[in-house]
Amino acid sequence: MGQPDQVEAYNYSVFEGTDDFLAFRLALPVGSQAPDVAATVADTGEPVRLSDYWRDRDLLVEFGSLT
Amino acid sequence: MFLYTREAHPGEHFPAHRSFEQKLAHARAFRERFAVERPILVDDLAGTGHRLYGLLPNMTYLIGRGGRVLFRADWTDAAAVEAALAYLRGARARRREGLRLKPFYAEFVGHRWSDQAAFDAGLEVAGPQAVADFAQAMARWTQGGQVPGRVATGEEG
Repeated sequence: MGQPDQVEAYNYSVFEGTDDFLAFRLALPVGSQAPDVAATVADTGEPVRLSDYWRDRDLLVEFGSLT
Repeated sequence: MFLYTREAHPGEHFPAHRSFEQKLAHARAFRERFAVERPILVDDLAGTGHRLYGLLPNMTYLIGRGGRVLFRADWTDAAAVEAALAYLRGARARRREGLRLKPFYAEFVGHRWSDQAAFDAGLEVAGPQAVADFAQAMARWTQGGQVPGRVATGEEG
């Protein structure tokens, strides 16, 4: 977890439309090892890691939110 | 699988997350409201996973068994994902048949449907503030002459 103000900046309360699409193009090109991160199963609250899902099969991940 | 991130367009009904419990509740509301059948995972409150994968609001990654990135797109488009999967299946089938295939780097331009009605409806679910904030951002983009993420192809209609 980051500092409280960084967490608040990440979770902005006003959409400003300043997403950096060019930075995305340089990060994690195909062939990269995907970063393994901790996550929580929404339905159960169970802690998991992304690698749990790609260990034995391919994994398709969509990122997003309700809004 | 779906990885739940920060609210892209926070509003009165679904404001910016201030606790992990709130983020979890929004992820569950997302499943209910849109009848999502895929597993939904929730990133931590600081957006650790979201940052590592590029921080954009609706990215898709295809990660191969073992963890290598095989396909990525800065927006999610079902047709683009289907095309990538079909290509991958074809290559794997040919390799199984004994054909010698060498992996190489490739890019292509995606073409996603800009469904304005659905997008506007989504903003209204978030709340009036989400509608107003997006209108302001759109005005700034228009003034600046550039919409973030748009790829020039020479065939824009």
